[in-house]
Amino acid sequence: MAPAPGAAPDDQSTVPTAVILAPGGQAVDGRRLVGEAVGFGRALRAGGLAVDLGAAIDFSRALTLVDVGDREQVRAAGEAVFVRRRDDRIVYDRIFERWWRRRAARLPSDGPALPPLEDEGLDAGADGTDTGAADDDHAAGEPLGQLLAAAGEDGDEAVTPDRTVIAPDAFSTAEALRHREFDRMTAAELRDAERLVDLLKPHLEQRRTRRHELHRHGRYLAPRAMYRRNLATGGDLTEWVWRRPTRRPRPIVVLCDISGSMERHSRLLLRFVQALSAASIVRTESFVFGTRLTRVTRQLRDRDRDRALANVADAVEDWAGGTRIGASFRDFNLKWARRTLRSSGVVIVVSDGWDRGDPALVASETARLRRNCHRLVWLNPLAGVPGYQPLAGGMQAAHPYIDDFLPAGTVASLERLGEILAGVRAGDLRRGSEAAAATDAGARSSPTAAGLAAWAARPMASTGRDTLEGDGPR
Amino acid sequence: MRSIEGVQGAFRERGYICERSLATAVFLSLELGRPLLLEGEAGVGKTELAKVLASSLDARLIRLQCYEGLDVNTAVYEWNYPRQMLEIRLLEARGDIDRAKAHDIFSTEFLIKRPLLQALESDGTGTPPVLLIDEIDRADEEFEAYLLEILSDFQVTVPEIGTIRAEQPPRVILTSNRTREVHDALKRRCLYHWIDYPTPAKEYEIVVARVPDAPEHLARQVVAFIHRLREADLTKVPGVAETLDWAAALLSLGAVELSPEVVDTSLGVVLKYEEDIRRIQGETAARYLAEAAAGA
Repeated sequence: MAPAPGAAPDDQSTVPTAVILAPGGQAVDGRRLVGEAVGFGRALRAGGLAVDLGAAIDFSRALTLVDVGDREQVRAAGEAVFVRRRDDRIVYDRIFERWWRRRAARLPSDGPALPPLEDEGLDAGADGTDTGAADDDHAAGEPLGQLLAAAGEDGDEAVTPDRTVIAPDAFSTAEALRHREFDRMTAAELRDAERLVDLLKPHLEQRRTRRHELHRHGRYLAPRAMYRRNLATGGDLTEWVWRRPTRRPRPIVVLCDISGSMERHSRLLLRFVQALSAASIVRTESFVFGTRLTRVTRQLRDRDRDRALANVADAVEDWAGGTRIGASFRDFNLKWARRTLRSSGVVIVVSDGWDRGDPALVASETARLRRNCHRLVWLNPLAGVPGYQPLAGGMQAAHPYIDDFLPAGTVASLERLGEILAGVRAGDLRRGSEAAAATDAGARSSPTAAGLAAWAARPMASTGRDTLEGDGPR
Repeated sequence: MRSIEGVQGAFRERGYICERSLATAVFLSLELGRPLLLEGEAGVGKTELAKVLASSLDARLIRLQCYEGLDVNTAVYEWNYPRQMLEIRLLEARGDIDRAKAHDIFSTEFLIKRPLLQALESDGTGTPPVLLIDEIDRADEEFEAYLLEILSDFQVTVPEIGTIRAEQPPRVILTSNRTREVHDALKRRCLYHWIDYPTPAKEYEIVVARVPDAPEHLARQVVAFIHRLREADLTKVPGVAETLDWAAALLSLGAVELSPEVVDTSLGVVLKYEEDIRRIQGETAARYLAEAAAGA
């Protein structure tokens, strides 16, 4: 399987400096090796992996340590160096496959161990990252028979996956239309979302971490600091030093229903979440769901806020479908809950509760979601309608497990959401429907300005509670 | 340990059967002197790998279990304040206090070395230790940031003494269960490998290596059943650790063969969620068993 050694001089002393002897015994041109490694790194970056130059250099070092003719060894070495998360492995394998076959194709049967330096990777880097991927496609597509012949038994099994490109271009017209509308926000929506963020920034609910800081009003003794400070007096403990737990905002996870009528509300909330994470004051995770759950956290990180929403629209694959709340929640509970809610975050669901799936599944999965988080908030646009009862199948099933059930889409409800995120609760200890009913009524009756003023005054209450809990000195 | 096959062979001798790609990652991490970050589902042998590596290299294993709030004082070093106090008292009693200097009580003698600092020190054997930083995802970001200095330069700065640098960098293995994503800055300093569940053939080898007393037929049945379970829609899929536990449990129950009754009574060894057990117990278990038998 190893390519025939190039003109490898036996005598060490005649080996020029650029040539490295690989463990297999074949001579490798060091310059080409680095060129290869950097080129491969660029191709990976074009494919979306976070590759830096350091990794490419590591890879070129690794290539001198493994048998460069053995496909599996090179693949595993590259994987160890370039891949940094599990999800990257699929992309990596695809790009590696392509790269390896091109290499093999260009390799004369008894030529040098590695192809010449003028090579796709460097070109691609010069042209810009995207064209690199396109080039690759072109090259991989054309001389397919040739490639296979050259690659021998190595490269044949992965030919088909190479062609399956996940792209959002299989839309019907109606879908495309909705797809386009999603990323357009009206000026008013934008204003609302931004205003909400400004309101919230200083007031997000904090959780105590297990880390401590020294503080005059701390509740715990800090012996370490005390000894240290009292060394000056020769060890007599004359000064008390206290510490208290540091605090951090709770992470926020939003699950947005993007089916039909829900889209507008979800968009508003996503916009809000985007602004929150851009302000980097709190860790946020966002998901959208219709029939399937899609994680859009990364897409939302784009600094250009309109492009971010466009990215979200691109990532979603089930625009036309209905809603399957139970299945989507289950997906979240199994795959993401542990990773995103580990320090008991606040979960916000935006959905009208119309569900095509099994209500029993919605109930059991909502219950589990509730167990995994600090607080489960459900925004429902229909809830603002007077006389609304949560009777729709999914909504009825989920309702008993919800901490805060709020109408979505009105300014007042967003303010109430603000209060919840700030940890201020009406009838605090009541959870579930009771509390929901109370807050519901509150949100609807309070006119905007008055509600705001009331809320602004509220954090006082929260501070008072903390003191009672014993953060005060002694 | 100087080749991929060498790593794989040394591990196999110690009852750790691993895929070639994992052996490649370990080999490269040794050769390039880079930490190796291992991720994978619970119970696929991440921590075990560090132990086996230490024993293969005949090196000391230093383990640091991470948790939220882990700080420099418990992970790296701490001053022994009570001893410093005593020293001051002693100096006073001897009347030497005027001549004593501050750095007399801030010398290495009064330094309590925690795992990370221990790992930077040579123990005189000439073999650098293996440092296992277990479940890094449980530590908070502050601690992760602190690790950056140690993992890239293998040095620690103690303000009162100066910089302590490792003569021989330790072999570092980090593990993560992905309860959160480890920061990219840390990942950049490491090689990475995701450990998958083994193939049935590999898992059978593992069972034979780890539970040598298990009859061959039972071992095959256990592996086939577990693989069937991994395809089922479960809250928590059993890992290799569960397979081994189960094989051992069946052995001590005196079972020579899997039957629906045996599975039902011992399912708690494999599945740790009540709803999963309820789903599998009884009919489903019997069906899986039949399928596994047909497949094997």
